[in-house]
Amino acid sequence: MRVYVLKRLVIAGVTLLGMSVLIFVLMRLAPGNITDIIFESAGYVDEADRRRLEIELGIDRPVPVQYARWLGDFLRGELGKSYRYDLPAWEVIKPRLPVTLELAVLSLGFSVLLGVPTGVISAVRRGRPLDYLLRVVSLAGLSMPSFWLGMVVILALVRSLGWIPSMTYVSPFENLGANLFQFVLPSLAVGYRSSALIMRITRSTMLEVLREDYIRTAWAKGQRERLVVWRHALKNASLPVVTIIGIEFAFLIGGLIVTETVFNLPGVARYLVDAILVRDYPIVQNLAMLIAVVVVLANLTVDLVYTWLDPRIKYGKA
Amino acid sequence: MTRPRPLRPLLPLALVLVLTLAVTPGGAQSPQPKYGGVLVTAPLTATPSLSLHEESTVATTQQASPCYNNLVYFDPAKKQESLDTLIPELAEKWSWQDNHRNLVFFLRRDVGWHDGKPFSSRDVKYTFDMVRGAPDAAARLKVNPRKLWYENIEAIETPDPATVVFRLKRPQPSLLLMLASGYSPVYPAHVPLAELKNKCIGTGPFKLKENRPGEYVEYVKNPDYFVKGRPYLDGLKFVVIRDRSTQIAAVQSRQLDVAGSGWNRTNAEDAKAGAPKLVVVEMDNNVNDNILINFKRPPFNDRRVRQAINLALDRKAYLVGPRQGAATFGGALLPRPAGVWGLPAAEVTKLPGMGDAARQKAEARKLLAEAGFGPGNPLKLTLSTRALAIYVDTASWMVDQLQQIGVEATLEQIESGVWHPKMTRLEYQVALNLTGIGVDDPDAQLFENYRCGSQRNFSGYCSEEIDRLMIEQSQTLDRAKRLALVNEIDRKLQADAARPILGWAKQHWVMWPHVKGWVVHENSIYNVSRRQDVWLDK
Repeated sequence: MRVYVLKRLVIAGVTLLGMSVLIFVLMRLAPGNITDIIFESAGYVDEADRRRLEIELGIDRPVPVQYARWLGDFLRGELGKSYRYDLPAWEVIKPRLPVTLELAVLSLGFSVLLGVPTGVISAVRRGRPLDYLLRVVSLAGLSMPSFWLGMVVILALVRSLGWIPSMTYVSPFENLGANLFQFVLPSLAVGYRSSALIMRITRSTMLEVLREDYIRTAWAKGQRERLVVWRHALKNASLPVVTIIGIEFAFLIGGLIVTETVFNLPGVARYLVDAILVRDYPIVQNLAMLIAVVVVLANLTVDLVYTWLDPRIKYGKA
Repeated sequence: MTRPRPLRPLLPLALVLVLTLAVTPGGAQSPQPKYGGVLVTAPLTATPSLSLHEESTVATTQQASPCYNNLVYFDPAKKQESLDTLIPELAEKWSWQDNHRNLVFFLRRDVGWHDGKPFSSRDVKYTFDMVRGAPDAAARLKVNPRKLWYENIEAIETPDPATVVFRLKRPQPSLLLMLASGYSPVYPAHVPLAELKNKCIGTGPFKLKENRPGEYVEYVKNPDYFVKGRPYLDGLKFVVIRDRSTQIAAVQSRQLDVAGSGWNRTNAEDAKAGAPKLVVVEMDNNVNDNILINFKRPPFNDRRVRQAINLALDRKAYLVGPRQGAATFGGALLPRPAGVWGLPAAEVTKLPGMGDAARQKAEARKLLAEAGFGPGNPLKLTLSTRALAIYVDTASWMVDQLQQIGVEATLEQIESGVWHPKMTRLEYQVALNLTGIGVDDPDAQLFENYRCGSQRNFSGYCSEEIDRLMIEQSQTLDRAKRLALVNEIDRKLQADAARPILGWAKQHWVMWPHVKGWVVHENSIYNVSRRQDVWLDK
């Protein structure tokens, strides 16, 4: 197991190194740089001043030198300075991380709480009206983009109640109730889509497991349905579900841009897009790397959870 | 015998006066302004920084102006900004001397910075030496968008802490207008320039409480403000809401008291449809849709080609199409009555694109044929525009209009971040652009956009005659003579198809009836954001 974890950590390191090159190169391939953007917002370009700024920001140097300097700083935990806001990058990123994390965790929590039970019920009641109803509900979830659903919910609320969630972020440390109230709708909107995916995966794997001999044996032994379905079948059907949950979490960390925009939540996803638009290299590179680290860790965690779910899985042996 | 009634002849007059007062809104008993409350609004976008001298977006004037003061400012209560509506701010009074070669400001002595330091003439010299790029300036702006406004200043002198003298190279009455712009606040000389990007130490009615870049800017009342009794509000909060639909929902749900920056008529109507009590203000706007035709690239250096493009664009179709009925027409300067310097209305109706569409398109085809283009050899061009809906809508309409005269136009959307750099380097053929004019004044509009070599002269247009006339109008003290000169310049620019103007858009604001004193100016969006007179009738 230890060997496996070490191997995975090495692979994760190589993956992250590859990511760092990709992120760095992609940013340089985009037309213009931060000095263009600074002058863009000024409405004109003074080439001499622009050159001066390039030197000041160090983006006049060869690209490999810039890359090496950034990577070295990142590994030392120095995230540099936001070109756009002239503030330390960490100071800009830090307040946004909890917002996205909270939204992702609540959305995922909601999607698991809804998706897994409905998937199980749908499989157990296969071919019955309840199964059809749940499949229609899940198909609707997959078909509706979460931002669209969010916007519809906002419009419906404002039209019917004249109320929408707060447009200014409330920290849970300031007011937990208000914070949860603010996050309920966006996490439901996002979680509904994810729950549909989880529900469908749960249903299909449960159907497979329910056909297995040991389940038939359990029924034959007169085991109660609750025990057969929830303990024996679900545990063995949960490997693909856990994989999907891991992937969804990784997606949610970087993929909430439109939901954050619609609900005006100051999270990292929305900010990352803003930073890309203004070519704020230190923010984009560091934020994208942080997201990559989370994705890699999420995948590693999922792999490790496999051994707990299925003791037959042994890592580190051929 | 009848009693003498000496006041009887005045009775009809009194009756008229009473009736007038009864029917005029202003004549009704105006409610007494109330103190307190925090007004919440949404700016156009997040401001790149709070440093007004380094930015060129209305988002910055909206969010930073409450913190600062100018030497002089435009009276917020007057809808039209002009020399006649200037009011003192940090300067108690001013005086032109030496045949308009010296502009002397006499400063208030009771002003303090938000950090408690006293304000003096040193701050004024520091600010405007920096902005004009004086060699001995104490600070240097990394980006200096309005250096051109102050190039006529030869020196700034401070004979004493309460007096500042601006010595000019030539007379320039409009300098006062530039100094009154929202982009011309006085900065504190004792605070490092870099610090003013994310915080704000001004003399203004509101002190910065918190600046969360990209999220919100929040102010609290400055209790030591030098204008006694102001501001009325306890605070002011600018919440950045990127999504337009969310903005509409936020104002409908009363999370915003005021909204509308960058809105079109449909947005305002949508908001009011969901909340009928909202008050909608539609007003002229010193922002125009203009066509950049690259003078440095053939065949666009051929006047006939430029005129053909201009004629092909039917302005009435522009009004009902991209502008949804909310625009006015004019030349290079905002048309009257909203503008001060525009061409007379009778002339505007005769501008290219304003006449019968079919006839003008036929004329355009004829001009193209004279230039060597026709069905066998169509003019092919790339129409560039910024990849933002407000630009793309109008540019798409232009492609269709140009196709009607046989021009094969292809739309190119340029990412917003590199739009101005590309325009400055003249890396386009024909482009659709939006220009907001900081001050409704020929010196601001003409020098920036039409002068040979100006950094914002994105079409590469250059005429020695126009440059000479620009200088002449700039130093003309008689206002009628100056207007005549400005109109002459405008006529020549239109005849040359130098940056043809499609139209001047209107602005739309929505606010709840409890918001009082939130004024909107009809000839600028940049110079009205101090907000010290705003109050909430709650």
